[in-house]
Amino acid sequence: MLDILKDVWFLFGRLFPFPTKAGLRKVGNPNRQSPVLLTCNFELTVRKVVQALEHDHIDAWLLVAPTKGINVWCAAGGGHLTTDTIVSVLKTSGIENMVDHRQLILPQLSAAGVNVWALRERSGWKSLFGPVDIKYLAAYLDKNRGKYLSQREHRCVGFPLRDRFVMGVNLGFNSLLFLILPFLIVSIWINGLWWKSVPLIFLLSLFNSVLALWLPGRPGVQKGFSLGLLVSAVFVLISQTAWTMGQWETLGWTGWIVLLSTYLGYDMPSWSPLWRADVKELVLGMKRTHVEVVPIRCIGCGLCKIVCPANVFEQNPSTKKSAVVNMDACQACGACIENCPNNAIKNNFRAGVCSCPTCTVINSVKSLKRKTTQQKKGGKEPAAAKRFSEPPA
Amino acid sequence: MRILEQTPAKYDHGMRILTLGRIDRVKREIVSAWVESGHDVLEVGCGTGSLAAMMIRCGAHVTGIDISAKMLATARKNAPEAEFIHMTATEIGKLGADRFDRIVATLSLSELSEDELDFVIRISFVLLKAGGKLVVADEVPPSGWWKRFLACLIRWPLAALAFLLTQSTTHALKMFDGLVEHAGFRIVYRRVYLFGTLALIVAEKA
Repeated sequence: MLDILKDVWFLFGRLFPFPTKAGLRKVGNPNRQSPVLLTCNFELTVRKVVQALEHDHIDAWLLVAPTKGINVWCAAGGGHLTTDTIVSVLKTSGIENMVDHRQLILPQLSAAGVNVWALRERSGWKSLFGPVDIKYLAAYLDKNRGKYLSQREHRCVGFPLRDRFVMGVNLGFNSLLFLILPFLIVSIWINGLWWKSVPLIFLLSLFNSVLALWLPGRPGVQKGFSLGLLVSAVFVLISQTAWTMGQWETLGWTGWIVLLSTYLGYDMPSWSPLWRADVKELVLGMKRTHVEVVPIRCIGCGLCKIVCPANVFEQNPSTKKSAVVNMDACQACGACIENCPNNAIKNNFRAGVCSCPTCTVINSVKSLKRKTTQQKKGGKEPAAAKRFSEPPA
Repeated sequence: MRILEQTPAKYDHGMRILTLGRIDRVKREIVSAWVESGHDVLEVGCGTGSLAAMMIRCGAHVTGIDISAKMLATARKNAPEAEFIHMTATEIGKLGADRFDRIVATLSLSELSEDELDFVIRISFVLLKAGGKLVVADEVPPSGWWKRFLACLIRWPLAALAFLLTQSTTHALKMFDGLVEHAGFRIVYRRVYLFGTLALIVAEKA
């Protein structure tokens, strides 16, 4: 019964942290040579990892890191799954007495917060980044690892239909949650707007998410707007033929649909693993996150390529040095910057700031404030603008 | 996902809101009653170094550790005489056994997971000299259901206010007494504040 309730909650409320007990767990019958895997303590993640391992009959030690119930990628980006967290869980979980080897397999998406070089120095554990999705773990643990690493789909995040559906439901649920108060206020004047908008928001969220790959325009506001036009065209067609709706009422609803869809489209990128919220560029004309490999500093270890979930980097086959080939796909997760052993990645990225619309707006306002106070003081160059244009030394 | 960035400047204010200003009194009590001149003190999770500065003024030699580099930078300004090290609480074993007269932790142990807490308490026992004391001030779940209910009523608005204004929050320390006694300590002093939600606990290495 409890499990069913939890499943229903995970369908709607994935945004919210859901902690489970951290520490060491056994999956199957692990021995002293079995692989040691690490994950976050978001309950759904732990459950899925255990299921996947049991399905493939893998005997392993599973370290559940205390990440405050947040999923791996968000915890790594937000400072809850860091090198410190892992050093700590390795020491306290008792894993060091259970195995003979010192090799830890991390989720690839934890790279945004975990520096493997520092981890090795501080804990003595050699860590490897595993696959981006737990379902590839069996292939990963296979002896043929060299071949495995070249397979792009094991390293890059995808957004399949199933995920798009779940995220659409979540987008709808959370948008309703945040829109309840303004809606109640508005519905005092406009009768029926509130209860008619509830299914509308859900449908538009679902469409925005499920159709996200095929809608015309750039991800974000543009895709949302084009969906709004599409849906309102269908709406006009139905309302003028099947229902008897007045012209002004039709016009009102059309505008409302486009507005809602544009708003939901603007929020969509933060629910997807493929796109970044572009509020910064859209509203404040700020520079997009940019990374660049400095060839002189690059030692050709290829770690940036391994940790990148968006296939931004490519290695030169002869010199082994990395180069940025696909900047548009960059998620600004910061994994490459965190893990580069020689600081070879020039960037205008500020670590510890996630790229969801809420954070982006708040940080933009913060930096704008800083800019204006600086100008009032008579400083020549605003500190905030400088940070975004120059890489840190 | 970090919604807002927590900054050292705001942290102390946040803690004051959450404890209705009581944490400053607890810190003063720690310094006046439990720390003496010449003591070797380790502060676990020193934060902005406000307690470290008070202990320095009373003549103790203070070593502070914290997980946040930003907090440590502020702490170094607030208490320049103290020694600050950037490490997690579970790494304090590196500092050497039988070295400290006091290990002090205010509102920091509750940030740890169950395993980590157990580990840190056991390591603290090793780090302390014989007769040394572990001084902990932290949020605790109050005893008795009606007190817990009352604490919830008070805590929720306070936590919301503190988070909105300062983006910092605390958690309650659970099962502390059992872990401490299991590690070999003897609890010698215990005082609760704010309807039993904030406790000052002193445990001695026998």
